Amino acid sequence: RQQRRTSAASLQCIINSKQPKEAPKNFTFDYSYWSHSSEEDPSFASQRKVYQDIGEEMLLHAFEGYNVCIFAYGQTGAGKSYTMMGKQDPGQQGIIPQMCEDLFRQTAENTDPDLSFSVEVSYMEIYCERVRDLLNPKSRGALRVREHPIMGPYVEDLSKMAVTNYSDIADLMDTGNKARTVAATNMNETSSRSHAVFTILFTQRRHDNMTSLDTEKVSKISLVDLAGSERADSSGAKGMRLKEGANINKSLTTLGKVISALADMHGSKKRRSDFIPYRDSVLTWLLRENLGGNSRTAMIAALSPADINYEETLSTLRYADRAKQIKCNAVINEDPNARLVRELKEEVNRLKELLLSQGLSNLITASGKYTHTHSTSDAPMEGVAPTSPTTHISKEEAAERLKETEKIIAELNETWEEKLRKTESIRQDREALLAEMGVSVKEDGGTVGVFSPKRTPHLVNLNEDPLMSECLIYYIKDGVTRVGQEDVDIRLTGQFIKELHCVFCSEVNENNEGESDHTKVTHCITYRNATVMLPENTVGEHNPQCHLPLPAKTL
Amino acid sequence: MAAHQSTEWRTVCEKFRLAQELSEIESRKDPENNPFRSKYKARDLLKEIHCSLVKIHIEEEEEGEDDNEADGGSMQIAEGEPGNECGKTCTGDSPAGLRAARLAVLQYYLGVNHIETEELSAGEQHLMNCMKLIDKCTTTRENVSLFIQARNQLGILWAGRDEIEKAQGFLEIAESMYLLYMKEDGQPPLDLQDYFVSEGEELSQQEKIRSRFEMAYTHTLYYLAQVYKNLEQYERAGQYCHSTLQRQLEYKQFVPLEWAINAATLSQYYITKTRYMEARHCLAAASVIATLAGEIPSEAAAKESDAECEKREELLQKRSEIARCWIKYCLNLMQDAKKLLEDNIGELDLDRQEELKRARQNEEEEKEKGRKSAILFGSSDTFDSICSLEEKISSMLPLDFEEARSIFLVGQSYVAQAKEYFAMDGHVTDHIEILQDHSALFKVLAFFEQDLERRCKMHKRRVDLLEPICKDLNAQYYLLICRQLQFELAESYYEMMDLKLAVADKQDQPDVHTIKKFNNLCSSSMKYYQMFLDSIRSPEGKFPEKLEDEVLRPALVAKFRVARLQSKLISNNLATQLENLNHSLESYSFIVQYCEENPEAKKAVETELELSNEMVSLLPLKINRIRSNMASCN
Repeated sequence: RQQRRTSAASLQCIINSKQPKEAPKNFTFDYSYWSHSSEEDPSFASQRKVYQDIGEEMLLHAFEGYNVCIFAYGQTGAGKSYTMMGKQDPGQQGIIPQMCEDLFRQTAENTDPDLSFSVEVSYMEIYCERVRDLLNPKSRGALRVREHPIMGPYVEDLSKMAVTNYSDIADLMDTGNKARTVAATNMNETSSRSHAVFTILFTQRRHDNMTSLDTEKVSKISLVDLAGSERADSSGAKGMRLKEGANINKSLTTLGKVISALADMHGSKKRRSDFIPYRDSVLTWLLRENLGGNSRTAMIAALSPADINYEETLSTLRYADRAKQIKCNAVINEDPNARLVRELKEEVNRLKELLLSQGLSNLITASGKYTHTHSTSDAPMEGVAPTSPTTHISKEEAAERLKETEKIIAELNETWEEKLRKTESIRQDREALLAEMGVSVKEDGGTVGVFSPKRTPHLVNLNEDPLMSECLIYYIKDGVTRVGQEDVDIRLTGQFIKELHCVFCSEVNENNEGESDHTKVTHCITYRNATVMLPENTVGEHNPQCHLPLPAKTL
Repeated sequence: MAAHQSTEWRTVCEKFRLAQELSEIESRKDPENNPFRSKYKARDLLKEIHCSLVKIHIEEEEEGEDDNEADGGSMQIAEGEPGNECGKTCTGDSPAGLRAARLAVLQYYLGVNHIETEELSAGEQHLMNCMKLIDKCTTTRENVSLFIQARNQLGILWAGRDEIEKAQGFLEIAESMYLLYMKEDGQPPLDLQDYFVSEGEELSQQEKIRSRFEMAYTHTLYYLAQVYKNLEQYERAGQYCHSTLQRQLEYKQFVPLEWAINAATLSQYYITKTRYMEARHCLAAASVIATLAGEIPSEAAAKESDAECEKREELLQKRSEIARCWIKYCLNLMQDAKKLLEDNIGELDLDRQEELKRARQNEEEEKEKGRKSAILFGSSDTFDSICSLEEKISSMLPLDFEEARSIFLVGQSYVAQAKEYFAMDGHVTDHIEILQDHSALFKVLAFFEQDLERRCKMHKRRVDLLEPICKDLNAQYYLLICRQLQFELAESYYEMMDLKLAVADKQDQPDVHTIKKFNNLCSSSMKYYQMFLDSIRSPEGKFPEKLEDEVLRPALVAKFRVARLQSKLISNNLATQLENLNHSLESYSFIVQYCEENPEAKKAVETELELSNEMVSLLPLKINRIRSNMASCN
């Protein structure tokens, strides 16, 4: 879902003109533009052309609901601002103004009454790890970068200005740029050492007439002007300069960088096994959101073609190249498949043997294709694998072997399904037995205890162990139901159960509800709500037990 | 010496002081369009001093020859002295030696000045001049500091020119010179600042001199660390970073929080090298030194003032970061132990366990003693606290559940600490990373647990940790995290399913409850794999024809697992069985087909593809059996 572009000024491979012996250095990118001459030059790329290549597609993504981001990076004076902002003159406007204009043009063309748009902008600056609001003059000090689980990453208290047309945006951008310059002057530092992020929050709201619900699609368009890449180290300001590999940092304050680079050396591939506390937090956050997240990002590297800027140009390209390679650092960390693979291999073998044993006369090749062979005949074979061992076996022997194999295979192949089938047949046996005893079982053979018929009079067992209680249900038929040890409808066994324990008489009333009457034979039985309860003190503290081949709880 | 009191000398000293000030202080205020204004002024002054000095020296030498032969004689003595270093023309502490050193100091500052103004070749020339001057003399307290600092500068210079070996040469000589000097002399040497001091002015205090000298050497080690890093000698680089930290602590040249974070980071380097004893020492030191940064301001105090608020924020953050380094320590220690102890399907190998336990008793103790003395962070007031913190957790790979558990518990307590600052509200990514580590801790602990039910419960804890978050997270902003969580949840459920199956297998009959539970776990696992797969779809819901590299393998593995899970679902209804198997077949076919259309994907999922191919050809057999079963039932 990511896409990055480097548009570089006409350099595909750069050669140090001062040191021709050096090997040319190669970089790849999607587009490369030359804008250091004028329109007459056939290779000249106009602002319009750059916008059409990069801006239009980005805007399209924004309408689709993606977050989009355009990074600009490079030496001051190499055309970074020209590419991003351009000049006021016609045909000289950069990507940002063209995109904003296009955005408002497209929203204005909308005729769907259920679709509405809103646009808000914010403008901030990151300098020395501090975030500053460039649009709110009252905002003082550093703002905090935070993440919300639903709303995503945000800058706390950053002002968002609602805008309705491009001139609003232009005004705000202008205000922000002024604030940036003023601050830079106050700090006696150049703004080229700070990063500036201009964000357009674009909301598309659709009203659904059927449900009268509003659905929102929010996309964030970030335009990032990264700190200039030029001489940032003499004063210690960092910017985004990537130093040449071999350089030595003089100050011990950079020890952390060296150590974290060491620690970082190994953890690149799989998921991080280590945690490295040192980081350019705000910029990392910025990069994380735009390069690692669900967004479309373009990177523009502005280069100067002058040979005096060779080093800077190289450094810019290297940076851009590295930015291109920043992939989502969040890798999926999967469990090893070893066990699953083993399991499946076993299954594959089982199935293969099953195939063989079924006498399909087939051999399966590794690729899963079938080759025709004879397996149980002495007849000369055609096109049979020469190693086939089954050639000289008599039919009887073969049949015997087949039977044996089948038995083994059947055991091997006993999967859960078969176990289940076995369980099922045992259940059916059990049910039959229970039915014989007058105990009813729910259709699916499920746990009877939970199931309690509302309308039909019945008996349930009670037990000191609550798990065993109410496991058995004895229905009382219409008419007379005899309970006891022998020659009865409901058979109970137990020390205190009489041969004929009791008799229930059930009569159907006019509501078609069963009501049961009882005839006490030896003991008192109380009933309520059609559920006949055997009170604890009746059967001498004991509950009716059923004599079953299986313990009740396994039902 | 007479010259020292002369007006001329006093002017020289004054100019030197001014040059220093221009170079160090004034230069910070130089305008952007003339960034080296003060440096150039300083350079001019240094050149003037050089001229005057040469003049003074000539006078001095003449004077010396006039009234005393002794001074000049010292040169001869040095030359004639038997056993003297060859090529040395005078001793460092003779007047001639001192004169040479003074000129060398000027050359040194001129060199640094040129380098700072980006005239590298000229800078190099001056530094080489400086070296030539001192190389004539024996190394004494007069010139040892200069000797080291000049070589430091040359090291930096050559490293900048990509000539790392050359840089290494200069720095290594500086290193050995320091060691030699400390062995043979060890007196605080003359400071670079103190060469140009007129009578009556105070020399720097002994303590300061010592500190500056040691600092210069600390820098030598730090530069060497970088050189070795650039030479890809990471082992040595790590060692030199460690020494740098050690010396910062020893000479009290550190900012507590910064030092603590660096030590904690270094521990992560040791972790990747599986050197847990060193890692633990770094972490314990980090935790102790971090407390030197002061008390964390209370919430109330933070509300009162911005400064307190910032301090609170910073302290809490760093403390939590150190805690996170500890978590990684615990996690890696357990995971590395697991790697050693597991068999080819990821189960605890009991024979291996026995073997390792026996081996450990013999080796470890000896090894630990030897290694430990080399790496200690010594500072009398903190040493005891560091040690007692170390004792709270083992640095040896856990070999059984009890050992693993005690590491797990420490890890878990750091999880709690880390979450204090990295709360979900405001630090979503960090918070989830910590939870993922917590889940990983449970996962690796489960490996050591032999009781299947309890092991299953540990995976349940993982689910409990991650599931609520996965539900709440907005995939528009945290897509990758969502995917990670979905995948991990799917795997946790899968693990639980496997365990339930193993438990049930021990029973002679699967009861309905177990089967239901089992099916639920299968479904949950499938649900999360499916969520992961759905996250790859376009906004219109279309599955991409070509998967991106970073999701290629996970997506196909997810499909593979779903295929397996579908065929695992238990049902006694033949129609349902048929349906499940058909789904399974579809998933296997998807993998096969995808790899046919995108042959480059084959490499990523070799085993899975092979098995999928098999299943695609074999599953129909099973399906047909069920079909015929159904037919016969009807």
